[in-house]
Amino acid sequence: MDNDHRQQFEDVTVKPGDVIDSGDTALDLGEVSHRAAAPPASSVLGQRTRWFLSRYALLLVWGAMALFFYSVRPGTFGRLSAFQAIFGSQSTLVFLGVAALITLSVGEFDLSIASIMGLSATTVPVLVSLHHWNVVWACAFALLLCVVSGAINAFFVIKVGVASMVVTLGTGTLLVGVAEWISASSQVAMNIPSFSKVANQPFLDLPITFYYGLALVILLAYIRSWTPLGRHMLFVGANREVARLAGVRVNRIRAGSYLYASLVAGMGGILLVASTGGFNASGSGGYLLPALAAVFLGTAAVQPGQFNPIGTLIGIFFLETGIFGLELMGYSGWVQDVFYGAGLVVAVAIATIVRVRTSRG
Amino acid sequence: MTVEATPRLLVSNVSKTFGANRVLSGLNMVIQPGEIHGLVGENGSGKSTLVKILTGYHEADGGAAIDVDGRAVSVPVQWDEIHRAGVSVVHQDFGLIDHLSVAENISVGGFERSRLVRKISWRRQNEIAEESLARINSTVAPTALVGSLAVSQRAAVAMARAIRDLPHGSGLIILDESTRSLNREELIEFYEALGREVAQGLSVLLVSHSLVEVVLVTNRVTVLRDGVVTGESLRTDDLSEQEIARLMLGRNVSHIERSSSHAASEPAIEVRRLSGDAVNSLDFNIGKGEVVGITGLSGIGFESIPYLLSGARPASSGVITIDGQEIELVGSSVRACTRAGIALVPERRDRDGLAFEATIRDNIALPTVGRRGRGWFLGHKWQDQMARESTERFGIRPRDSSLLVRQLSGGNQQKVLLAKWLTVGPRFIILHEPTQAVDVGARQDILGQIQLVARAGVSVLFVSVETLDLTEVCDRILVYAPDGTLTESTSREPDDILDLVYGHSRV
Repeated sequence: MDNDHRQQFEDVTVKPGDVIDSGDTALDLGEVSHRAAAPPASSVLGQRTRWFLSRYALLLVWGAMALFFYSVRPGTFGRLSAFQAIFGSQSTLVFLGVAALITLSVGEFDLSIASIMGLSATTVPVLVSLHHWNVVWACAFALLLCVVSGAINAFFVIKVGVASMVVTLGTGTLLVGVAEWISASSQVAMNIPSFSKVANQPFLDLPITFYYGLALVILLAYIRSWTPLGRHMLFVGANREVARLAGVRVNRIRAGSYLYASLVAGMGGILLVASTGGFNASGSGGYLLPALAAVFLGTAAVQPGQFNPIGTLIGIFFLETGIFGLELMGYSGWVQDVFYGAGLVVAVAIATIVRVRTSRG
Repeated sequence: MTVEATPRLLVSNVSKTFGANRVLSGLNMVIQPGEIHGLVGENGSGKSTLVKILTGYHEADGGAAIDVDGRAVSVPVQWDEIHRAGVSVVHQDFGLIDHLSVAENISVGGFERSRLVRKISWRRQNEIAEESLARINSTVAPTALVGSLAVSQRAAVAMARAIRDLPHGSGLIILDESTRSLNREELIEFYEALGREVAQGLSVLLVSHSLVEVVLVTNRVTVLRDGVVTGESLRTDDLSEQEIARLMLGRNVSHIERSSSHAASEPAIEVRRLSGDAVNSLDFNIGKGEVVGITGLSGIGFESIPYLLSGARPASSGVITIDGQEIELVGSSVRACTRAGIALVPERRDRDGLAFEATIRDNIALPTVGRRGRGWFLGHKWQDQMARESTERFGIRPRDSSLLVRQLSGGNQQKVLLAKWLTVGPRFIILHEPTQAVDVGARQDILGQIQLVARAGVSVLFVSVETLDLTEVCDRILVYAPDGTLTESTSREPDDILDLVYGHSRV
């Protein structure tokens, strides 16, 4: 290979799966300077496009989907109410998505977040309506229960060493049972206007919970890339042993992820019950898959191949737009499950393809 | 030999182009029956591409021809066909599954099933495993778990699998960097065990970074540089390592000059009563700016010293004093040790050293973010700059520090690993096999950087079985004996060190 060949090396296009032992790594201490020549302009454009697509393709698909629904149902999909339905109704999913993200990004798997959310959404009305607690105390107690549940998960996974899937599947089921027990398997209603205002107070045409979710996502995004904690979390997720040997307190971070995930899920539950006035614990399970689907879908956006908060948010609204649009077109009920399920598989497939592609860059 | 007429493997005019890049051009290679043939070249020289063409992973450009035992195989290669013709591969690091038994590992891909219910006959599998192992003089039990085996036994299992379907006295085994985890002694043992089969006509294509290995065991060698053959089937007997390196690099390999001795300087690091794993009550000192090596027969326990000293494995006793600051090693965490200025560059860069799915920049910055970041804010500018300085200083290629570590070659990964720990500004750096599986160029860069670091006043402990590395950079070398004692040598002759290493084993 002469120098001309080398200069072009970075622009080589290779079929998927091709692994070339990177010629650029051929070491010659004396003549490296020859290789830094700028690649031709056309391929720079190609690289930029590829870079953009690998990060924001999901946004484009989202836009295309919205346009499609708008062209089919301009009367309803174009209204403010459609916008409100898509962006204003999903704060529970945002909270659950963030909870799932906190654990997944450090390499843990928490299947109990939806049940924990359900537990807090059930505990609050039960304490307020049946046991006549003050609503603030009821919320504090519900959050405490959630954090304790997270601590139980952390204890079994980290101290005892049981696989996280097993532990959280178990506690998740158990907590649904507990919630059904305390509520006698029925929906306990509560009606405290000041409490429901905490969730439903509109601001710029959207309920305030939307902004809570947004703030939470931004906070997590900030922590991830702008604090030592976030960098440490990234490495605990990427390679635990590397993190440990770099002096990171791996187990503390893993345990913390369970506690904070439970706390966030619990807050999601409180906001849910505040906005709806009651919750039936048996419905908790239905929240798990959409949240996970959104988190995985998020790995196809912004930071390809990585769990990331902004991507998760995009994933949630992407899924909601699809479901809302399909419902407008007359498909109802079952379409949710079909779309979430298909969304999950397609999301992971896209993320995998994106990963393979970017690794060739 | 009459068999010279039909070579075992005849490769002619193999080229491979990726886009505008020709990574292999017009390669010819002949391997005779009973020949151990080396294939060497730097990363990116095209040797892995050739192996991938031979195994059907890549398609060669038009015009290539491949014959096995005088019969042409179809090009592009179909793995099934060429495997039936007698070609086997042992992959990098053997490709064994730890939690399965030896027999299970050997029989993967060739299970014998009973005729009636298509059930795998495990008794038969064990027999096959035993036969294969016997052919290479190995006595590993077929029922043993692969995870519990020593490296040399694992090598035997991988070879037994490769040789399983090959009739006596025929076939070609491609060793694709597979022996890199073996030390010199294990290598010799490994090839001695192969000896009988090779004498009967088994051929071996040895793809390796290690010129020592190539000179030691091969009959002929093909040297690649930038996709072009620069040495075609040269007889190894006539060649030295330096001559092969010159063909590979197109330049002379200069020896790194050692700085003057630090023997007189005050000890900056004092290790007292270090115990844990197989190590028992070791004492030694390292001066400021001194490079001290520790070596010995592999597998006798000195390999845990780097991990005991850095808190990565629990020590049962030991105190380390750094510039007067005492650290009790019992119960001490990695965190405490790194805070005290100890940096560990572990042996397994894939498992312990680097996160392959993270970027070069993030990997390099990892040990620093905890101390430079102010709790709730972590700047990005200094991380970028640190990564840029490291890539320049170490000559990491490509220079783009936003690439994932996975995308780099082994030599460049190793440089990233070293850079990661040098940016911390350690007082004491512990290196474990820092030149493992890197090409000659990267090895020189790494050893050069180690010397620079020492010159800047950092104490260096260099734990390795590579005596060549040790004599090149170390001011003193401590040889660890099987009885757990250390013998000091200041010799610069690798053979002197080897004498000490093996001398102990005879005692």
